[in-house]
Amino acid sequence: MRVLVIDPDSARADLVAEGLSDVAPLEVRRASVFDEAEAAAFAPDVVVVAAESSDRDVIESLREADVGRLRPVVMFVDRSEPGLAEAAVRAGVAAYIVDGLSPARVRSILEVAMSRFQLVRRLRDDLDKARADLASRRTIERAKAIVMEARGLDEEAAYRLLRKISMDSGRPLAAVAADFLTFAGLMHGEGM
Amino acid sequence: MTGGRRLRLGFVPLTDAAALIVARHRGFFAGEGLRVELSREASWATVRDKVSVGALDGAHMLAPMALATSIGAGCDPVALVAPMALNRGGAAVTVSSRLSAALGDRPGAEGLAALLGRRRAQHSSLLTFGVVFPYSTHNYLLRDWMARAGIDPRRDVRLTVSPPERSAELLGDGVIEGFCAGEPWGAVAARAGVGRIVMRASRFAPDAPDKVFAVTEAWAAANAADLQGLLRALLRASAWVEDPAHRADLLSLLAEPANVGVASETIAAGLGGIRFFGRGVNRPEAAHGAWILAQMARWGQVASGPDIGPVASRIFRSDLFDDANAALGA
Repeated sequence: MRVLVIDPDSARADLVAEGLSDVAPLEVRRASVFDEAEAAAFAPDVVVVAAESSDRDVIESLREADVGRLRPVVMFVDRSEPGLAEAAVRAGVAAYIVDGLSPARVRSILEVAMSRFQLVRRLRDDLDKARADLASRRTIERAKAIVMEARGLDEEAAYRLLRKISMDSGRPLAAVAADFLTFAGLMHGEGM
Repeated sequence: MTGGRRLRLGFVPLTDAAALIVARHRGFFAGEGLRVELSREASWATVRDKVSVGALDGAHMLAPMALATSIGAGCDPVALVAPMALNRGGAAVTVSSRLSAALGDRPGAEGLAALLGRRRAQHSSLLTFGVVFPYSTHNYLLRDWMARAGIDPRRDVRLTVSPPERSAELLGDGVIEGFCAGEPWGAVAARAGVGRIVMRASRFAPDAPDKVFAVTEAWAAANAADLQGLLRALLRASAWVEDPAHRADLLSLLAEPANVGVASETIAAGLGGIRFFGRGVNRPEAAHGAWILAQMARWGQVASGPDIGPVASRIFRSDLFDDANAALGA
C-alpha cells in the first residue's frame, strides 16, 4: 500500500505508518506540501491530507478536473470542529480521521476510504460506458444507412457486411462504422 | 444582542480580509456588543465546509463560492447568503520573471498570446497558471484576460489551483509560470524578485465582485439581530480601512502573523488597487450573481440556462445590507 500524507506535522504520518505496520508492502511518504508531479510519480493508493493544509483547495480541484489522476483522499479533522468531517465527506473526501485516534483504527479507515472510492469510480465508469455504448450504437446505425444506400442492400445485409469487415480486420464494429462515416464525409460538425 | 455568546468568523490571509481584522481589533464588533473570535483558515474549501456545518458563524469568502455552495456546484448544496461585499479590486495576474523576460516589451495578454503561438508551433509544453479556487473571481478574470487576447485558457495553457501563500515559491521553482490571486500575494512574488504583475483587476474589471461576508441562510434567519450588528461593525470598519489617515495602523495590524502575516511594506505595495468602502463597493447586488453565473456557464462549471434572477437575489441580500446601512445613517 502506498500512502501519501500531506501534513506539515510529522506526528500524523508516523501515526499512519504505525497503524499500517502489518501491511506489506507498505510505503508511507510524508510531504509538508502537495506537489502534483511528485504525487503523480509516487502514484499513491490513498492521499491523507490535514484539514488545516492549504493544499486542500489544490486536491479538491484535481478531483474536479482530472479523473485519470483521481485518488481516494482521507482528511484529518480536529475533533473540536463537529460536523466538519461530515461536510468534507459530502465534498467528496472519502473518509476522515479525528485527532486522538488510535493507530489501530487507521488501517480500517484507509481501507473503507479506498473501497468507497472504488465503488464510486465503478459507478462513474459504468455511466461513461453506457454513454459510449449509446454513441457506438448511433454510429453503427448511421453507417448501416450509408451502406444500404450506397450498395442497395437491405438493413440486415448492410449489417452483415459491416460485421464481416469488423471480423476480417479484427477491429471493433463501432470503429469500422466510424470509418464509413468518415469516408462518407458525414463526420463534419458531429461530435462522436 | 448575543447574550454573551462568542461568534466565530473565518478569514483567509489576504489584504481584503481587512474589515474583519479591523472590526475585531479596533473594537467595532465590541461596539455592537458582539464578542467575536477570528479563525485564520488555510483553504477556501475548509472555510466553505466550516460555515456550512456551523463550525464558523460566518466568513470572509470568495463571492463565486457563496453562489456555488448555494447551488451545490463542487459540493453538497447549502444555502448561503452574502449580505455584504468586502472589496473591489485586489486580484492580480503575476507572471514569472522568466516569462516576463520572454514577453519583453509586450507584457500583456497579447504578448502572451503571441508567445503561446510560437510555443505551439515548436510543440513546446503548455505553460501552467495557478488560480486560488475553481469558483473564484480570480479564475474567471484570468480566463477572461486570456480569452480577450485570443488565448483559449482550456487548451492553450494548463490551469491549476495553487495556494496563494505558496505562489511566489511555486513561481520561483518553475512549477507555475503565472498565477491570479488577491493581494498581497502578487506583491510578495514581485518583491521576492520572482515575478511581475501584468494585470490588475482594479484596471481590468474594477467592478467585478471579489470577496463577500457570508453566513448560512439558516444562521441569518436565526440570528437576525446579531447579523445586523456584524454588518454595522463591518461597515464602520470598512470606512476606517479606507481612510488614508489610518494607513500606517492598518498596515501594521495586517502584517501581524495572526492576521495576513506578510511584511507591511509588501502589503502597502498592493493596497492601492483595493477599494474597501464607498459608493457601490459594499452593497451586494443580484447583478453580481448574474455575472458570476455567466462565468460559471461560460467555462462549463454549470450547465447554462438556469434562471439566476431569483437565486442571485436570494444569495446577494441587498435588503439585509440596506437595513444595516440605514441604521448607520449613511
